[in-house]
Amino acid sequence: MRALLVRVIAALFCLLSVGAASPPEKVQAKHAQVEVLSRQTAVRPGQELLVGVHFSLEPGWHIYWVNPGDSGQPPAFTWQLPQGFSAGEILWPRPERMQSTAQLADYGYHGDVLLAVPVRVSPSARTGAAAITLEAKWLICREVCLPDRAQLQVSLPVGPEARDNPATAGLFAANAKRLPQPFPAKWKATVQTTKDSLVVSLEIGRTLSQAGFFPLDPGQIDNAAPQKIEATPRGATITLTKSDLLVKPIRVLRGVLVLADGTAYHVEAPVGAGKGIK
Amino acid sequence: MRQVRHITLAAGALAVLVVSALAVRPGEPAPDFTAVDSNGKSQHLADYKGKYVVLEWHNQGCPYTKKHYESGNMQHLQKEWTAKGVVWFTVISSAPGTQGFVTPSQENDYLKQMGAAPTAVLMDPGGSLGHLYQAKTTPHMYIIDPSGTLIYNGAIDDHRSSDQADIKNSKNYVAAALSEAMAGKPVTDSATTPYGCTVKYKD
Repeated sequence: MRALLVRVIAALFCLLSVGAASPPEKVQAKHAQVEVLSRQTAVRPGQELLVGVHFSLEPGWHIYWVNPGDSGQPPAFTWQLPQGFSAGEILWPRPERMQSTAQLADYGYHGDVLLAVPVRVSPSARTGAAAITLEAKWLICREVCLPDRAQLQVSLPVGPEARDNPATAGLFAANAKRLPQPFPAKWKATVQTTKDSLVVSLEIGRTLSQAGFFPLDPGQIDNAAPQKIEATPRGATITLTKSDLLVKPIRVLRGVLVLADGTAYHVEAPVGAGKGIK
Repeated sequence: MRQVRHITLAAGALAVLVVSALAVRPGEPAPDFTAVDSNGKSQHLADYKGKYVVLEWHNQGCPYTKKHYESGNMQHLQKEWTAKGVVWFTVISSAPGTQGFVTPSQENDYLKQMGAAPTAVLMDPGGSLGHLYQAKTTPHMYIIDPSGTLIYNGAIDDHRSSDQADIKNSKNYVAAALSEAMAGKPVTDSATTPYGCTVKYKD
């Protein structure tokens, strides 16, 4: 009788521990594998960690950039972190332009994409094992769109010694090359507005014959309209078609400039009216 | 002479192209159209001068459309505003073989099943009405005032999500614009970025 009771209690504990199992590092989601990765295997209090959600998408399927363009929705993460940890914003790699018809274009990613997030660990963070948990929500589309979500968790020790993770170093390094860099101080970007266009003038010290502009704010440019680029001796002008939804003047055009070799830069260009404004 | 005529024809063709690429901006005249509804009746926008007209782009398979139908939000709006004299056209521009394409009888069954109450559903499998308005997403909402001027172009509300739980915390732009316009006030948010699935056009 007593043995039976022990067994029942043991079984209950088993159930409880299954119920309270920590979320996995990796899940097979709809048309994608989604995995949480850390750039480090151990962290010191007062340091910054880099944590990323790695999407491996089935061929033809895509997810979205922070400005998804004409349709779609960017992934969003909600964090559950130990005391003293705080998550920053997603570091969005440069997107691709995905044109579905002559009128419609979205911004997003195919294939493999790592959405990295800096996680600050305060100097007063407790040492010992730390579990970083997040709920990721995203929309994945091909011809049709499917909303999806996953709970993911990665654990690592907080202690006197920080350690890089050799297993993820390559992935984070490759991702760093896709991240937009700050706009160089010697470069200059201004925008003139005409009735139907926003004309971005770029001065980068060399002629530029190919580049793409990705707007960070929705509803400013016609995403699907061809971008007209004209090389100048020290840069280029890129003519963007205004969105029909742009009914109020804008003071700043924010976006990401992607050059022919894939290098990307953050752009924040003041908007003036007509020609002759510096 | 022959050459001259050719040039004139080319210029004429170009003019048509330019017209069809006209902006669909709030404050400008709404493009006129004629379309056939799910009951086979021809609907002509100009016949509704003197009334407010709402256009709602629709795809019953799209998670964002489902958010507003499975919650009853869209039906509620349709009933509330048509009761106040608004003409509500749901528009389906999904091409045959794509998500959201339905036959007229399938659409009428869906309306019954969902308790939807638009004035009519305009069947646009060729996409011409969608292209005329440059409808981008499902849903994508437009409001035309009694003078035929477009007064709203954009999203249904301010929460870009497919989650029904967000509706109660959302500002409904369509209801807000209709309320303001009917009270004789200018529309505060006349252009917003629509959110949802891409309209499944033929081309």
